[in-house]
Amino acid sequence: MALSNLKEYVRPDELDVALSLVKERGTSARVIGGGIDLVRSSSPDIETLVDLSHLSLSYVRQTDKGVAIGATTTLTEILEAPAIENYLQGVAVEMLHQVGAPPLRNLASMGGTLASAHPWSDVITLFLALGAQVTLYNGVTRMVPLSDLYASRALLSPAIITEVLLPAYAKGTAAAFIKFSRTKFDIAILNCACLISIQNGDCKRVRLTAGGTPQLATLLPAAAEVLLGRRLNQTSIGKAAGIAREATLVRDDLRASGNYRRELVYAGVKRCLACVSRQLSGVS
Amino acid sequence: MKIELTVNGKRQELDSAPGETLLHVLRRIGYKGVKKGCELGDCGACAVLLDDRVVNSCLVLAAKADGHRVTTVEGLAGQDKTGELHPVQEAFLEHGAVQCGYCSPGMIIAAVDLLAHNPDPSDQEIKEGISGNLCRCTGYVKQIEAIRIAAEKMRKDTDV
Repeated sequence: MALSNLKEYVRPDELDVALSLVKERGTSARVIGGGIDLVRSSSPDIETLVDLSHLSLSYVRQTDKGVAIGATTTLTEILEAPAIENYLQGVAVEMLHQVGAPPLRNLASMGGTLASAHPWSDVITLFLALGAQVTLYNGVTRMVPLSDLYASRALLSPAIITEVLLPAYAKGTAAAFIKFSRTKFDIAILNCACLISIQNGDCKRVRLTAGGTPQLATLLPAAAEVLLGRRLNQTSIGKAAGIAREATLVRDDLRASGNYRRELVYAGVKRCLACVSRQLSGVS
Repeated sequence: MKIELTVNGKRQELDSAPGETLLHVLRRIGYKGVKKGCELGDCGACAVLLDDRVVNSCLVLAAKADGHRVTTVEGLAGQDKTGELHPVQEAFLEHGAVQCGYCSPGMIIAAVDLLAHNPDPSDQEIKEGISGNLCRCTGYVKQIEAIRIAAEKMRKDTDV
């Protein structure tokens, strides 16, 4: 039986009750959205599960600040939301179609995906590039950049992810995602994403990411830096991809060698930037 | 702990250990059409509809399904009281989409979810719809054909 030492399964109706349970039970308690990872882990340390599904955190809303996604929203619900389809030419829809298969997407939740922080996560690679903001609740509500969450996992102890915001961008912004895997639905050997805003033809904002290296996705600031203030063309794209190839930490695992991954970083960054360049052609 | 499930339209109150999966509970109470495969969410043999969406029952704690509707392959046939097979089941039988049959319940459930949300899927969408279901016999070609044919039949039936 999965989770053989599990004693309590609680579905609180209030966020404060959920937080109190997590604080009281300490390391023997886990917060769950879909709960997939915990069922698969069979961890003997877990005695309490706090299921957030009764907290009305399943939604995708278009707001002035961007697209707000509740923590318990499933990946399928996100994929099917009109606000996501309309967000940056549907880049998140394209990515989500490549995450696992429908039975997994119908269970996996937004909050759980971010909290689990799987190194191969396609969602995290793209959301880091999009500059996603995460709302945490630890008695008070605060919003932090997703990148901060991974820079300091202490932010989650104890705190509950309640919402993710994909920020709104002005016209002249485009994003792209690419995944390399053995099959379309397999775990990524490597994935890359980028977001570019241009002004008067030059790159004003650039975020590049690579994940499944096989570490968790990270931003590639050195490669992004060379594009700032420059036109997006074959030369600048090649230069940024070259820097990304040299600057990204890669290593071997059962899916691919580090050397192969290094070349994938180059190809992935180049293709993402070329895709964004096509989307932005004609926009000044 | 006590949980309440509505399985194939029948409401049931059940005892379940907090860590027990929906797969184990369903098989324990007699729904053997829910197949036990990898128990890791990889093979799809245990697929059921939770409310209206396909899930791997091996990855769902029974406690999480408390208060929800579950449809197993046994619940697809005769839902209209005539005992007739669901169009997807019929198409699987008529078009040779079943060989050993172990993956069939999960594959059929996945196809039912797909067609409920996308009545006119392309072959690529059918492939994506059943991408969580492994079959080691058929090579998938017959199953994709069967789902396409079931979709056509269901669209015609809706038009009538």
